[in-house]
Amino acid sequence: MSDVRFHGRGGQGVVTTSKILANAFARTGQFGASFPMFGFERRGAPVTAFGRFSDKPVREKTQIYTPEILVVLDPSQRNSEAVFQGLVPGGMLLLNDSDNTINVSHENLKKLGIIDANKIALEEIGLPIPNTVIVGAFAKMSGLLEIDPCCDALQDYFSGKKLSANIVCVKRGFEEVELFDL
Amino acid sequence: MTGKKKGKLTKVLDYLKYEDPFSKGVAFCPGCGLELLVRFIPQVLGNDIVITGTPSCSAPVLLGQNNQSWHTLSYFGTLMTGAAANATGLARYYRKAGIKNTVVCFNGDGTAADIGFGNLSGAAERNEPFIYICYDNEGYMNTGIQKSGTTPYGASTTTTPFGSASKGKNLRRMNLALKMAMHKIPYTATATLSDLGDLAKKLLKAKEAKERGFAFLHVLAPCTTGWGYAPENTIEVCRRAVKTNYFPLWEAINGKIRMTKIVKKPKPVSTYTELIKKFAHLNEADLQILQDDVDYEYCMLGGLSVLEAECQLPASLED
Amino acid sequence: MNTKINAKANSQIKVITGNAAAAIAAKLARPDVVAAYPITPQTEIIEQISKFHANGEMDCELITVEGENSAMNAVMAASLAGGRVFTATSSWGLVFMYDAVLATAGARAPVVMVNVNRETPGIIAVSSGQQDMISTRDSGWIFLIAENCQEVLDLVLQAYRLAEDYDIQVPVMVHYDGFYLSYLSEVVDVPFQEEVDRFLAVLKDQPERTKLVPGGKLGCGSHGILGGYLELRHKHVSAMERSKAKFEQIDKEYQEIFGRSYGGQVEAYRMDDADVVLVGSGSMCGTIKTVIDAKREEGVKVGLLKMRMYRPFPGEAMVKALKGKKAIGVVDRSLCFGFKGGPIYTELKAFETQLEGSKMVSFIDGIANTDITTANVETMIDTTCGLAAGKEVREVTWICYPEAQESDAEKMGGR
Repeated sequence: MSDVRFHGRGGQGVVTTSKILANAFARTGQFGASFPMFGFERRGAPVTAFGRFSDKPVREKTQIYTPEILVVLDPSQRNSEAVFQGLVPGGMLLLNDSDNTINVSHENLKKLGIIDANKIALEEIGLPIPNTVIVGAFAKMSGLLEIDPCCDALQDYFSGKKLSANIVCVKRGFEEVELFDL
Repeated sequence: MTGKKKGKLTKVLDYLKYEDPFSKGVAFCPGCGLELLVRFIPQVLGNDIVITGTPSCSAPVLLGQNNQSWHTLSYFGTLMTGAAANATGLARYYRKAGIKNTVVCFNGDGTAADIGFGNLSGAAERNEPFIYICYDNEGYMNTGIQKSGTTPYGASTTTTPFGSASKGKNLRRMNLALKMAMHKIPYTATATLSDLGDLAKKLLKAKEAKERGFAFLHVLAPCTTGWGYAPENTIEVCRRAVKTNYFPLWEAINGKIRMTKIVKKPKPVSTYTELIKKFAHLNEADLQILQDDVDYEYCMLGGLSVLEAECQLPASLED
Repeated sequence: MNTKINAKANSQIKVITGNAAAAIAAKLARPDVVAAYPITPQTEIIEQISKFHANGEMDCELITVEGENSAMNAVMAASLAGGRVFTATSSWGLVFMYDAVLATAGARAPVVMVNVNRETPGIIAVSSGQQDMISTRDSGWIFLIAENCQEVLDLVLQAYRLAEDYDIQVPVMVHYDGFYLSYLSEVVDVPFQEEVDRFLAVLKDQPERTKLVPGGKLGCGSHGILGGYLELRHKHVSAMERSKAKFEQIDKEYQEIFGRSYGGQVEAYRMDDADVVLVGSGSMCGTIKTVIDAKREEGVKVGLLKMRMYRPFPGEAMVKALKGKKAIGVVDRSLCFGFKGGPIYTELKAFETQLEGSKMVSFIDGIANTDITTANVETMIDTTCGLAAGKEVREVTWICYPEAQESDAEKMGGR
C-alpha cells in the first residue's frame, strides 16, 4: 500500500488530485481511499489531502503520518517542515515548480520529481490549476500506474473540451516530469 | 453631493476614526466583500463594540479557535438559530447594569433571511437596543454556495443548479430590508461597498438610533467565489447593483422610507448580470423576468417612499 | 485503451465520497419528497440531490427549506400523508430539528434520514465525533451506523426497507462519521435502479399503512393521555424490539440481491477465539481491523465487535458475541456525565452480569477531529490485554488527553 500526502493551496485542486488517482487505481482493479485534511478552506489557504492506494481494500480511516510519497503543488511549501513531517526513509517527492534545480533536501528523501505543472496547465487549459498535470507526473514517478487509467479516470470529473484538454495535461505530466535520484 | 474623486475618498477616510482590530492574513477569499465590511465597521463605530457572529463565512475569522482569536473585539460566537436573541440578552443586561455599549449582531443573509429570521423579527418587534447588520452575499456561502431567501431569480447555486431541467433558482428573492422596515423600528437602511461614505453615515445613524431601539442595516456584500467574478471586480459589481436599481439605497426612520440615492437613468439589469457567472446561463427571456422583479420591487419602494408625506407618525409614538 | 472500472452485471463501480454514496442511495430509493438544507459536513448530499433534480434524474418534490427544523417537519408530514421521504443533517441541525424528530418517532412516521456525525457538545465545533448521535439516542428512532462508504449506501437502502416495513413503521437514522467518511472517496459498488426496485418491491405487497388523506376521516397528532398514551408507547417499544430480528432478515435479503452481508445488528471480526475484544462503531472499525490483523501476526488473540445497530440497543446480540471473553475495551467517540466511562460503555455495562465474568474498560477517543490512529488502537488493545492478564487498569482512559488521567484528588480546585 502506498501512503501519499498532498500539499498545496486552496484553488489548485489538491483534493481532486488525490480523488482522480483513487479513481485511476480503481480502474486497474485496485483500491484507493482519498480525503482532505479538515479545516476551513479558502482560496489561497494551505490545503493538505491524503491518499492510500493498494491492491487490497483500504480499511484504515486515519490521516497519514508516515507518508511514502509527498506531492507538493505549491512551490512555496517546498521546504516547509509540515510537508516533510513523517516522511519514511526512501521517500519520494513530486514538486510543482518552474525552477528545476534541486533545492529540496531531507535525509529520508531519495527520489525527486519536478514538473512545471502551472506552465503546462496554462498552455493546455488556460488556467494555472496544476492537478491533472500532477496526476500524470505522479504515475510516472511512482511507477504505480500506467498512463491509460489516469486519462480514463478524468471522465468522471470532466467532459467535452475540458476533458480532452485535461487528458493532454495528464499525458504531458507523464512525459515531461524530470526525475532525480538523490 | 458629487465631488471630485479625491475629495470623496478623503471624506470616507474621515469616517475611519478607529484602528482596524483584525489581524492580517485571515481566512477570507481575495476580493471578499464581507472582509471589507467587517474591517470597516469597527473603524467607524469603535473597537469597543461587542460583536456577535455565527457559523458562516465570517466565522473562521470572527470566532476564535480554542483560546486564540484573529481580532481584538469582544465577541460572542453563537448559532444562527438564536443570534438576535443572544444579542438581545447582551444588550438588555448592559442596559440594566448601566454599561455603555454598542452590540452589533453581525450575520449573513442565510441567518437573517432564513434560519434566524424568526428571532430577528422578534427582536425588532420588541425594539431591542442593538444594531443588526446583515451582510448579503445572496447565499449560504461557507457551506459551499447554496441558495438563500435573498438569492435572486435565475441564480445558479448548488441547491438551485443550472441543469437540463432547471434554469437556476425559479423563485424571486424576498426583500429583507423592506420586511424589517415594516417593523417600524427607529432605523432601517440599505448600503453597499461602492458607496462607502453612505455606508459610514448609515452606520453612525444606526448607532444613534440604537439609543431609541432596534437598528437594521442590509449591506450588499458580493462573493467572488460564490457568484463567479474576478476578485478585483467586487466594487464594480456593487456599483452596478446600485446603478441598475438591483440594490437601491434607502433608509427608513420608524418605517417611513426615504431614498438616499436616486438613480436618474437606471441601466438595465443585464449590465449587472453580465459581470457575474451565476447568471451566465440565462437567456433574454429569463433575464427579463429578473428585470421585471427588480422593477417591481423598485416600484413598491417608490410607492412607499412617496407615501411618506401622507404618513405622519402619530404624536403618541414620537419620542 | 480504455480501462473500465470492474463492473458486475447489475452494478457499477464508482469512486465516491460517503456523502455521494448517501445521495445516490436516496436517489435509487425514489423518494417522493426531499427536504434539503446544508450543514457541514453533509452539504454534498443535498448538493448532489439538487443536481440530480435539476437534471431531471430525480422525480421528487425538492424543498429547499430555510432551516433544519422545517426540514424535519416537512418530511414528517409528507410521510404521514403517505409519501416516501428523505433528508439529511448533522450535529447542530439535528438538535435544531429535535422537537420534530421526537414528533416523527411518536407519530411512527417511516422517515429515513442521514445524520453525518459531528460534535454538538455545547462548544461550537466543526469536527467529527458522535455526540450528536448520543444527544438524541432515545428519541425513538432506529439508529444504524456505517463503517465505510459502501456501507453508507447499503444502510440507506436497508433503512427504507426497515422503516417502511408494516411490522415496524419506525423512523430510521443512518449515521456515519463526518470528515472521516463524509469526505472520504472510496471504491463503492453502486447497484442499478432495477435491483434496488426489486429489493424495495416487497414493501408494496404489504397491507397499506395508515395515511392522512383528504376525506379519509383520520387525524394524526392527537393528544395522548393515560392508558391510551401508554398503549402507543408500549407499541413503540415493541416495534423497536421487533426491528432487531427484522434487521437481521433484511441483511440476508440484501446478500441475496446485492451480494453483500454485514452480519446484521453487529459484525464480529476475528472474534471466535479472541480473548480480548474491542467494541466500536463507525469508521474507527476499519482502522481497528487493520491493527487487529497486525496484532494477530504477533500472536495476540484480539477481535472486534462492531456495533451497526445502536438503537434499539442490540443487547442480546452483543451478549451472545461477548460472553466469556476475558476483557472488553469499549471505544466511545462521545461523553456522558456522572458515569465512569463513555456512553456506549455504560450501556453495555448494563449487561455485565450476563457476560460471565468479562472485565470491561472504557476508552474515550476521536472527539473533535482527534484522529483514532493505529497507535491509539494499539494502546487500547495493549491496555485491554493488560486487563485480561489481571493487571490493574484505569476504568476510563482519554486516549488523546493525558490530563484526564490525573486522579480527582490531584485535581482539586480545577474547573
